[in-house]
Amino acid sequence: MDRRTVLKGLAGAGGLALTGLSAPAIAQGASARTLRFVPQANLANFDPIWGTQYVVRNAAALVWDTLYGIDAQLQPQRQMVESEETSDDGKIWTFKLRPGLKFHDGEPVLAKDVVASLSRWAARDPMGLMIIAIQQELTAVDDRTFKWVLKQPFPKMLYALAKNNAPCSFIMPERIAKTDPFKQITDYVGSGPMKFAKGEWVPGAKAVFEKFADYVPRQEKASWLAGGKQILVDRVEWIVMPDPATAAAALQNGEVDWWENPIADLVPVLKKNKNISVDIGDPLGNIGSFRMNHLFAPFNDVRARRAVLMALSQEDYMRAIVGDDNALWKSLPGFFTPDTPLYSELGGEILKGKRDFDAAKKLLAESGYSGQPVTCLVAQDQPITKAQGDVTADLLKRLGMNVDFVATDWGTVGSRRAQKTPPGQGGWNMFHSWHAGADCITPAAYTAIRANGEKAWFGWPNSPNTEKEITTWFDAKNLEEEKAAIGRVNKAALEDVVYAPTGFFLTYTAWRKNVSGITKGPLPFFWGVSKSA
Amino acid sequence: MLSYILRRIVATLPVMAIVALFVFSLLYIAPGDPAVVIAGDQASPEDVERIRQSLGLDRPFLVQFGGWVWRILHGDLGTSIFTNLPVSAMIGQRLGPTLSLMIVTLLLTIVVAVPLGVVAAWKAGSLIDRVIMGFAVFGFSLPVFVVGYILAYIFALELEWLPVQGYTPLTQGFWPWLENLILPAIALGCVYIALVARITRAAMLEVLQQDYIRTARAKGLGQGGILFIHALKNAAVPIVTVIGIGIALLIGGAVVTESVFAIPGLGRLTIDAILRRDYPVIQGIVLLFSFVYVLVNLMIDVIYTLVDPRIRY
Repeated sequence: MDRRTVLKGLAGAGGLALTGLSAPAIAQGASARTLRFVPQANLANFDPIWGTQYVVRNAAALVWDTLYGIDAQLQPQRQMVESEETSDDGKIWTFKLRPGLKFHDGEPVLAKDVVASLSRWAARDPMGLMIIAIQQELTAVDDRTFKWVLKQPFPKMLYALAKNNAPCSFIMPERIAKTDPFKQITDYVGSGPMKFAKGEWVPGAKAVFEKFADYVPRQEKASWLAGGKQILVDRVEWIVMPDPATAAAALQNGEVDWWENPIADLVPVLKKNKNISVDIGDPLGNIGSFRMNHLFAPFNDVRARRAVLMALSQEDYMRAIVGDDNALWKSLPGFFTPDTPLYSELGGEILKGKRDFDAAKKLLAESGYSGQPVTCLVAQDQPITKAQGDVTADLLKRLGMNVDFVATDWGTVGSRRAQKTPPGQGGWNMFHSWHAGADCITPAAYTAIRANGEKAWFGWPNSPNTEKEITTWFDAKNLEEEKAAIGRVNKAALEDVVYAPTGFFLTYTAWRKNVSGITKGPLPFFWGVSKSA
Repeated sequence: MLSYILRRIVATLPVMAIVALFVFSLLYIAPGDPAVVIAGDQASPEDVERIRQSLGLDRPFLVQFGGWVWRILHGDLGTSIFTNLPVSAMIGQRLGPTLSLMIVTLLLTIVVAVPLGVVAAWKAGSLIDRVIMGFAVFGFSLPVFVVGYILAYIFALELEWLPVQGYTPLTQGFWPWLENLILPAIALGCVYIALVARITRAAMLEVLQQDYIRTARAKGLGQGGILFIHALKNAAVPIVTVIGIGIALLIGGAVVTESVFAIPGLGRLTIDAILRRDYPVIQGIVLLFSFVYVLVNLMIDVIYTLVDPRIRY
């Protein structure tokens, strides 16, 4: 009997037992003004610039507002900004704030706060760093106006200020934003629709957010991080539950209202409960990653990397991650998020069709591989990396490779993958990860696609063609140019095998039916969500 | 007696010092880097290095250790790398749930296990004895999390008598406090009950064969009086010892139990801190647990003198 069967058995029995029953007393007594939410992970810190974990970004989106917000069409829309102007040469951006914006301490949001916030954000964000590299000055013109003067045009400015990839450019009071970006803030006065109840925060267990009465929502309909962020409950309680079976039981029992990411194994049980709704949470999903070390044999030879691609079955990986639910995954002959405007399969033939082990073995032999151990770092405490690691071990063995399977935890993988020493001396040959689809729409926040050698993400791929086309994308003037550039990035990155994508997968979200207004998106949006008794 | 207790308290200092050095060294050489976890998956190596520097993790071992010891001597357990909150405050937040869980479990164990052991010894070899010992083997064999899931299914999901998860402080009422602890305490107590029941039975069997028990019977004393007044008191030393040793078992079991029932206690704090490599928190918790264990052993030694007047220090 495996983990999946046990979980299904335990939680499933509960689900069946509850089907058709009324909500338990404990739920009926709970206030309809409090939404109880189980987040994807523990909110261990609360500085969205210092710590870039998604869970921090998600909580921060409640507490701090942004100048622009990305909408469901992936377009940047004005949020705290009332208007903007660009000089004819594209080098001077002048922004004007909306009137009446307030921080949670009652102070007005001023241009000097924005300048300090953007400076702190830019020091930690890949796009921010690109802006800093060409920045002449960033100044407050008056209380509501600020100006960003650049040495050369930066066409992706609004996207940079709107993007939902961590870190987002959240606006904080100047006194907080002046904190060193590599040190954590301790004051959580925000500009967003909810206040952080610091006194009730128990890291690892609970975080509480209270409605900010003086928040001025935009008039437009809310769409992801854009539009009117209307909060319809008084309190949102984040209840951290490390055990998925417990979270499933608590949702069935009415002890919580919304579970951000139920694991695939438990979804059939939740679907059977008439009091619970289940749907895809983030339509942008995730991309699985088989990351190879380009510095050492065998994967320093592109033929060895291509051999892996030729033999790799994305279906095997995806089924290991999501199980039998075909709605949750699709093949991905490329690196960019499916169903988004720039998606491309150019050059993706190597990942399509029947897997050719004979040709892969032949290519591997040509690369000079002669049976040396291949060190695979596999984090066992992350279900996604564990599942991928098991498939990889089998794949590499079938290719005739000598697998050194290092079963460890994510914390160890995190530090060991930074080692540039040879695999036998504390280094590594490959590890698994996954990337949020929201980060893989364009190269802007897609660190894993970068292939600038020593400066690249772990594995340090060096593909001048990929880098050249990424630069072309940044300079693109319109959607057509962007699409063409992304196609060429995809092709070049597959030719040089920057990394091996293991497929595209989605996850569910689940909530009780007395909760309404939950929308699909790359993070849980609480505006527009209400709850009846 | 007082001087003995004082000597024992003084003797805890070198023990704590050795524990401190051991824990610090172990964490220093253990793989993993909190800066990597903080920086997130997309961070550059330069960002990670800057975070390491800002946290002081790039300093030599002796400098880090010296600073930590100096702070501890001043009553400061340090600050969590992740939450930026004082470790003592974080432990304070979590102490209540864990202490509550352990107290309820301990009481449950004593109330259930000791009478079971006594009855099993009294009816040694009978069906009752076999049933009780069968339960004990069952209790030993079932992992805490399995018992936890089964209990949650029956009593929370099926019968809807008790909540699945969470913790309510005692300040919000006795029943709200207790209802969150019943299932976790039973789950955690299973192994403990089995252990104490078996030891009680073994100790009682030995005592029940003594001459003075035969004399008591000959004098016409009732069975209850013989078992619970004469025999149990003389069998108490090994029982108290195993209850004390079991505190360590409870601490270990609390880590799993708190995860299964989402109780915000020290066990979960420990797991979270280890997975994130939050060194100051791990060090603070281990020191606390070590201190508690030393203290419990001291209390047991004192209790020996109460249950057996022949023992003197």
